[in-house]
Amino acid sequence: MTEAAVEIYGIRHHGPGSARSVVAALERFQPDVVLIEAPKEAETVLSLAADATPPVALLGYVTDQPERAAFYPFATFSPEWQAVSWALANGRPIRCIDLPLAVSIALGKLDRSRPVDPLGQLAAAAGYDDAERWWEDVVEHRGGDAFPAIAEAMGAVRAQEPTVVGEEALREATMRECLRGALEFGRVAVVCGAWHVPALELSLHTATHDRAMLRGLPKAKVSMTWVPWTHRRLATVTGYGAGVSSPGWYAHVFDHPGESGIARWFAEAAALLRSEDHGTSPDHVVAATRLATALAALRGRPVAGLSEVTDAANAVMSEGRSGPLRLIEERLVVGDLLGSVPAATPMVPLARDLVAEQKRLRLKPEGLDRSLELDVRTPQGLGRSRLLHRLWAIGVPWGIPVESRASTGTFRETWKLRWEPELSVRLVEASARGTTVVAAATTCLLESGAATMAELTALVEAALLADLPDAVAPLIDRLGRRAALDADVGHLIDALGPLARSVRYGDVRSSDAAALRHVVDGIVARVCAGLSSAAVALDDDGAAAFGERLSAMQSALALIDHPARVTVWPEAVTRIARTEVHGRVAGRATRLLLDSEFWALSEASIRMSRALTPGTAPSDGAAFVEGFLAGSGTVLLHDRELLGLLDHWMVGLAATAFDDIVPLLRRTFGAFEVAERRQLGQLISGRGDGRPPAPFGWDLDADRVAAAVLTVQTLLGVNSWR
Amino acid sequence: MSQPAGEIQRPHAEHQYASELAALAFDDRPRPPGWLLAPQAVVTYLLGGSAPDGSVVTSKYVGSRRLIEIAVATLATDRALLLLGVPGTAKTWVSEHLAAAISGDSTLLVQGTAGTGEESIRYGWNYARLLADGPSEAALVPSPVMQAMRRGTLVRLEEMTRMSSDVQDALITVLSEKTLPIPELGDEVQAAKGFNLIATANDRDRGINEVSSALRRRFNTVVLPLPATPDEEVAIVERRVADLGRALELPALPDADVEIRRVVTVFRELRSGVTEDGRTSIKVPSGTLSTAEAISVMTHGLALAAHFGDGSLAIDDVAAGIVGAVVKDPVHDSVIWREYLETVVRDRAGWGDFYVACREVSG
Repeated sequence: MTEAAVEIYGIRHHGPGSARSVVAALERFQPDVVLIEAPKEAETVLSLAADATPPVALLGYVTDQPERAAFYPFATFSPEWQAVSWALANGRPIRCIDLPLAVSIALGKLDRSRPVDPLGQLAAAAGYDDAERWWEDVVEHRGGDAFPAIAEAMGAVRAQEPTVVGEEALREATMRECLRGALEFGRVAVVCGAWHVPALELSLHTATHDRAMLRGLPKAKVSMTWVPWTHRRLATVTGYGAGVSSPGWYAHVFDHPGESGIARWFAEAAALLRSEDHGTSPDHVVAATRLATALAALRGRPVAGLSEVTDAANAVMSEGRSGPLRLIEERLVVGDLLGSVPAATPMVPLARDLVAEQKRLRLKPEGLDRSLELDVRTPQGLGRSRLLHRLWAIGVPWGIPVESRASTGTFRETWKLRWEPELSVRLVEASARGTTVVAAATTCLLESGAATMAELTALVEAALLADLPDAVAPLIDRLGRRAALDADVGHLIDALGPLARSVRYGDVRSSDAAALRHVVDGIVARVCAGLSSAAVALDDDGAAAFGERLSAMQSALALIDHPARVTVWPEAVTRIARTEVHGRVAGRATRLLLDSEFWALSEASIRMSRALTPGTAPSDGAAFVEGFLAGSGTVLLHDRELLGLLDHWMVGLAATAFDDIVPLLRRTFGAFEVAERRQLGQLISGRGDGRPPAPFGWDLDADRVAAAVLTVQTLLGVNSWR
Repeated sequence: MSQPAGEIQRPHAEHQYASELAALAFDDRPRPPGWLLAPQAVVTYLLGGSAPDGSVVTSKYVGSRRLIEIAVATLATDRALLLLGVPGTAKTWVSEHLAAAISGDSTLLVQGTAGTGEESIRYGWNYARLLADGPSEAALVPSPVMQAMRRGTLVRLEEMTRMSSDVQDALITVLSEKTLPIPELGDEVQAAKGFNLIATANDRDRGINEVSSALRRRFNTVVLPLPATPDEEVAIVERRVADLGRALELPALPDADVEIRRVVTVFRELRSGVTEDGRTSIKVPSGTLSTAEAISVMTHGLALAAHFGDGSLAIDDVAAGIVGAVVKDPVHDSVIWREYLETVVRDRAGWGDFYVACREVSG
């Protein structure tokens, strides 16, 4: 056995510089055991790291309460990850020396109150805005062994701070205890946050004291596993070791240190820009590399860092536009790298939760297509529907809705179920978002990058269908804010349809209903205010779409019986009907006013007659007719005055004008039912008996009709047939 | 040709700041070939600081250090520098001082206009000689670009986008090959070390010619932003107004800073469409309302006060200038201006006199 010796490597969590230094130090020191700062329980799954590809995260959770969980992410450039990889590759034992998660969860505090980045503080004191820069410039390029200097600096920092108490003190006592236990191996290397280095000086603390501290601590039963992580989550999610703002850059620096890495970075940036149609030549790469190097020299730095390469990329490659730089930020500096874990990894809590849900709802995953009819009025049907909607939100489409409930508004849902093996993989990927199906679905909906009205509306609907109250409120809030900024009346109307359905069909719990109603009110007010200006200057396609939207708006208002139906909306529509807008829009507006009984028939026929007079171009008149009839001729069958107007207008057209509008008229009348067309023909040719023809003829059996009418009355809930 | 320095309205930067440049030349950090100063010293010259001998270097540019560093580093590589920005973002000012600091000469200048011909980029001919002796070195009239190539100094190209695109493209050979062929003489001029070019351009104005992508590739682009904070903008206007006032020999007026702040506030609010407190949104008029215009409004006001007023800057002197700068489109803008006066200025504490003066001028 070699003589006992201890080396302590104070690192910066997720610091590529630290990671490189740790590997170099381990190679030199050749320890018999490697100690890393990770919760004790992690030891059980550490061997799996050999077959995992970072970024990955250790996930610890209370075994029967998976929503109480903690993640410990690692990237290639994390010093702890490098230490683990080194030990596994060299066959050295690894010990995890942090306070067991069982204890910290039982204590109920998972957040750390200490300064998160003490090296960052040192760097700031030296006038650096990026701790990694400081490490590179001050530690790495100074040559020699950095760690004694780090220990000394940290000793100075901690001398200024009050003595640690509470969980922090427990953690450091645990670390010391583990270190004492590891001495029997011989040469011991400790990889821990720089902050803890001074606390690991064994001569300053007695074993008795540490043990006394750790005695009788509460414990929860926890499980550990690995989950895949992404660079993006590393950048956004705070947690163990804090968020890293530029994981993509760190990974690059770790893989390609030094000067040659800079040119490679720009080459990658150029390839990325080219793939997005921003012309970028090799000449740009050369110029950017030169500029970055010149900038580093100008700023007195040994090698170009992130700020130099960003400045150079901005000056050389983006040519004054902002798009390319944003692309580089998004895709290279942060990046979308997704890690993977070996198949032998213990099942993630999310999968466990899903299994439990499947058992509860008696829904077995099967590899074959299976059609499932759900009646959402029954508790089981509703439960199953919500589970499938939640999985859909997570990105695990086990069931595919065959008929959307939202569009029909019924209580019946039809799903096509099929469990593909790749769904298990997706489930593991999604496990970073939460430990239960509900939590993961909530996070997924909240983190989706939806920006447009339509996307946000779809999300709100999804959250309501999946019954995710924690997602509904923030999404409604976001939707409300987006609606306030959206100037496009069309987008607003499009969003209103689904929202009105959500309000109407009682998918909303009472508290959310008020918020949703509020958003709906806001949208209605904005639509009514902006309607008339949105209606002008439309081309044929635009007018057709606008006409449809007017109808959609009217049905949405009717569906929720919105107060604006009474005056505000009809008045807004009246303004359109009265102004010089596209014939199709004017026609549809007139029809809507007639249907909602805001305009009497006489008024509508005045408007129609004005559209169908010589003062109006025949094509405009035809468009008016198309908008007014909206694909059905019933109104003409029931009202002779309107029909007369139309007939009179058409007969009076000049031959050339008639030729011009024939296609339009054909389209209008072609959309009618065959029976309607036939009856119209009879009416106009005068072959009818003068009475308005009925679709079923006049020889009806009164008794049989009475029975049918009674049924219809019951269905509609009206007592008398008017 | 040379005049006594005292009579010059506006001396070149390298003369005005000769002592600072001389002090900074003692900085013995490595210099790129042909440079009079080390790159770090050039940055110090522009942003202010102290020279190696401890003497104070005044600040020429108020703004981001990062941008100036990028600009200087660009000139140290073999790429040309393109300064982009709206009027009043100190493009010309920065390019003049860069040339003065790096080459000690800011006078090699091509002013881009719609009428600028290729001979301003390449060379022209002295036609009398050309007719008498045929093409010869003596008949050649070199352009500023050609002179800079021979001497190995910087040349400045103002308002590059105002020149027609084919004239702009004459620069491509110069910037990529660093040679200027003279086929008539079977000769060429090769750039001496230290040659480079600073172009300025305004990408928002009307009547500009897009820079071809071939030419654009020869430039590194630095976008000079509008001043980020009111204080920065006030500082810029104050300094430039004082400079211009000295050059025009206007008497210094003690209470100018109050009016400068008000003018800057009005310009910033109308430019951004929202009041400084962020509470009221307002419509944006059609003019650019750049810092440069704020400077000219103030200088105009000072001249009025000095020559026609009682020697102190009165609000009436400034008001007319502001209205002229804001109302560029007589119908559209005057509505916006009146709305702004009524909804924002009228109720602002301490701005009563300003409101009255503006109402008077606006009619």
